[in-house]
Formats: sequence, C-alpha cells, structure tokens
Amino acid sequence: MLSPERLALPDYEYLAQRHVLTYVEDAVCQLLENKEDISQYGIARFFTEYFNSVCQGTHILFREFSFIQATPHNRASFLRAFWRCFRTVGKNGDLLTMREYHCLLQLLCPDFPLELTQKAARIVLMDDAMDCLMSFSDFLFAFQIQFYYSEFLESVAAIYQDLLSGKNPNTVIVPTSSSGQHRHRPSTGEAGTPEGVEASLFYQCLENLCDRHKYSCPPPALVKEVLSNVQRLTFYGFLVALSKHHGINQALGALPDKGDLMHDPAMDEELERL
Amino acid sequence: MAALPVPLPSAKMAAVEKRRQAVAQATSFTDSGRPGVPRTAATAESEEDFLRQVGVTEMLRAALLKVLEARPEEPIAFLAHYFENMGLRSPANGGAGEPPGQLLLQQQRLGRALWHLRLAHHSQRTAFNNNVGVAYECLSASGRKKKPGLDGRTYSELLKRICRDGEAPEEVVAPLLRKIQCRDHEAVPLAVFRAGMLTCFVLLEFVARAGALYRLLEDPGLAMADRRLGQAVLDTLEGALQASDDTAPARYLEAGSRLGPDSLALAMDRALVARRPSAPMTREEFLEKAAALFIAKVKPVG
Repeated sequence: MLSPERLALPDYEYLAQRHVLTYVEDAVCQLLENKEDISQYGIARFFTEYFNSVCQGTHILFREFSFIQATPHNRASFLRAFWRCFRTVGKNGDLLTMREYHCLLQLLCPDFPLELTQKAARIVLMDDAMDCLMSFSDFLFAFQIQFYYSEFLESVAAIYQDLLSGKNPNTVIVPTSSSGQHRHRPSTGEAGTPEGVEASLFYQCLENLCDRHKYSCPPPALVKEVLSNVQRLTFYGFLVALSKHHGINQALGALPDKGDLMHDPAMDEELERL
Repeated sequence: MAALPVPLPSAKMAAVEKRRQAVAQATSFTDSGRPGVPRTAATAESEEDFLRQVGVTEMLRAALLKVLEARPEEPIAFLAHYFENMGLRSPANGGAGEPPGQLLLQQQRLGRALWHLRLAHHSQRTAFNNNVGVAYECLSASGRKKKPGLDGRTYSELLKRICRDGEAPEEVVAPLLRKIQCRDHEAVPLAVFRAGMLTCFVLLEFVARAGALYRLLEDPGLAMADRRLGQAVLDTLEGALQASDDTAPARYLEAGSRLGPDSLALAMDRALVARRPSAPMTREEFLEKAAALFIAKVKPVG
C-alpha cells in the first residue's frame, strides 16, 4: 500500500530518505572508473546492473569503507554479505581471534578499520584480553551492533560516562553549596558499591538521544525492554544485551535469528550444483 | 525542462571528485592495478566532458525527474527498472539476427505498458493520465504483422494482468472485467482505455482496503469473521455508497458520517444483538460482496 506521506514530502527530503543521490553519485563514480570498458549503448545497462546490485545488496563487495558505511542499507548489506560468505566458519565450530575476524572483514573491504573490529570484540570479551577466541555467532551479533549503530553507541558511551561521574545530562544544574561535589564511581564493582548506572535513568537519557538524532537508533521500545529487566547495568552489559536481543536483530533485518545462522538453503543449493 | 532541486552536474562532479580522491588515497591499489594518481583540474574537466558526451548527464536528469514525479516507495528498484527499460529500447541491444516473434513482441509491449501504468498512483491524476497516454501509444504502435491501434483482446489481457499482479482474487474482479471488457477485434479508443485503467486500479486499491477491513473483523482463532459483523459492515458501506449517488456536497458528508466509527460501531452492535449467530463469513465472500458494491457503480462499456 502506498503511504501518502512520501507524496507530500519536498523533493530533496524524499530523495534523501532513501539516499537516492548517494547511489546516483556512486553510480557515476563507478562509471567513470570503468569508462574504457563501456560502449555508448552499454551505459543504460551499466546503470541497470548498478541499481540492481544495490537492491540485491551485493553492491558493497570489495568497496571502500567510506562507501560501506555511507547508508543504513549499505551497512545491513555488508553484514549480510559477511554472514553469507563466512558462515562456514561458524558451521565448523571454529573459534577465531579478533585479528583473524579482522582479516576476514578485510577480504570484503580492504580498508576496514581495525578500531571497529576491536570495539566489536570488546563487546564479546567484556575486557581487554584482545587475543581471546570468539565464536562466529558471538562475534557476528556484537559486530552488527557496533557497526550498524556506530554513531549511536558513541553517544551512548558519552552519556554513560556522564552518568557514572554523577552528571545527569537531563537535569539543569542549579548552583547550590553542594553542587561542586561529584562522586566518582569505580569502574569495577567493589563489595557493597553499586556498579554501572541506574537502568531507568539511563533509559530516559537514551530516549532523548533517539528523539534528537537522525542516525539509526535501535527501536526505543526494544531498548526499553532491554533496560527494564535490570536495576543497574554497565556499558558493556548494555551492549551485550543489545547484541543478544532477537527483536533488535529482526528490526535491523540483516541477519537471521541466531538459531538459523547456519541455515542458508539458497547457498546450499548453489554449492550442491558445483 | 523542469528545474531539478539538486545540483547537476558541476557540483555533483565536485562531489564525485572528492570521493574519488578519497578512494585513491585509502586503497593502495585499484581494481585494474593503476597506481593512485593525483587528480588535476584537467582530468576533472575531461571527465565532465565525457559524461556529457555519452549522455549520462541528460540521462540522469531525466531519471531523477521521473523518480520525483512517480515518488515510488522503492526508488532504487525503480531506477533499476527504469534503466532496464531504457536498455531494451536501444537499437544496439540484443543484436539477434532474427527479429523476435510476434508473441514475444506482444509480451514486451504489455510489460512496458504495465511499467508505465505503475509509475504513478492513480490519485496523482495528471501524472497517471500522462502515463496512461504513453501506455496506450506503446500498445497501439504498429508492428510487422500488426495494424496500428489497440484491439479488445490486448486490452482484456492487460486488464487481467493488472488484476493478477494486484493480487485480487479472480472471482472478485471477474464481474468488473465483464463490464468493461471490449470484444476481441473491437478497436479500443483512448478514452475507454483511460477509464478502464483508472477503474481497474481503483478497484484493486478498494479490494486491498476491504481485505484490511476484513482482517480487523476476523476472529484470530478462526481466521474468519462473524457473519453478522461482516454483513453489518457491508450494509453500512452500501448505504454510504448510495447516499453519495447525488453529487451534492451534503451527500458526501452524510456518506462519511455513516462510515464514521460511531455509526459503524452502532450498526455492528445492533447486528450482534438482533440476529442469531450463523455460519461465519470467509474472506473471499467478504471481498466479493464488497467489490460487487463498487462494481455496481461502474458504467458498462458499449
């Protein structure tokens, strides 16, 4: 069914919603890079193939990182491609290190930044032991959250730090005699000292964040769900919960449920044909 | 030529240039093994010339204008189909020694006409009418063994195709087709074609909305609706449609108020109380009856 809203949008906004201009510009770029190979009448065909590959999600293969992260669709397509290409790693039950996963990522994107892979690994490992082994599904779902919601997570980290140091980003500070005191909470819990931040307060700040910013956020209702199960939580506790949440994975729409990760009948069919 | 709200092509070229420099810097190799060369102004200019020469600038401008006119839900898929159709029309395409057979040509024509008809929603009347005109021309073009003009047989085939693609059950749309179809060898004028297309698309949307309405009425356990409720809704709809026979504005208000949630809820309540439960109403039956209300208002052809 057609939604009437998009018919009323101003032209530029309508185009921006689906990043149409991003893809048109990139198509021209690709055309110029391959111009020796294209005849005059092949241009329409070139554009057809380009836009078809965007629809199918294969357009991000072997492209530079700046393009892969340029639109939500690109990010989702990249996640999907990574899953499809390397799910056999999971099938065999192999455990890999962060560096090994990074090599796999670089096969699909030569300039993929190590920093991003490290952040993803930190979600799985919850500490700094960067050479620990991780299962494919653990890494994949953590990577999904880190990569798809990069900007969101950066803001969340800032909010978390503020809350830890006693600053509530929501409140207006009224100068009183006691306002100069901040209690710094230790990052590792000692007996009797509460660790992390209070869940409901954290949620309020995140709700404001989702309202204020244009970039992708996980659906606020699901974030609320994650935060309603606990009283307090740490930053990485929160990220782990996000990465393991089925609803958020489904809302994103790039990867199947964890149970179906190894299930890819289309790929199996193709492999059988070989 | 309408002015595009987006900068073309020089500002776009600047954007393209920036990204290409970023690519050249980020990767130490390119696909064809060319080393990254620092871009000069001359290169940028020659690229712009190249684009203009091969017609890319004009092609993209036309494509974007079409996207803005049609406002499809999936603009990227739309662009893919747009360029695919353009490729089909180019003289160098295919290059087969023998021209395609009559049947293939016919299918291609239908496909292309359908594509044009779907470019704009029927509520965007000007755009829709333009597209109907183009589709009509496409179908009327003369071929090797074909006389110019649209014949009843092709027209009927197109109507059936539209209904099939619109996922409306055959029994539901059959009465409409009987009303507006033309005889196989009759010539179909543009006015009849336009009216038929509009009616068809409106009916499809009507059926879709009736389907959504049914989903609200149905018992989730049974996947069927209580007959009394279904009938009450249909009766209300019929009453509202009759009320709007007269074109006076007051009649529309009356029709609208009959369909408002209050009156409808009352009608449904009354039905549940007044009548005894009987066999449930299936989705097909509901859609058929709803469609019949619409089709009753359609003027038959000829």
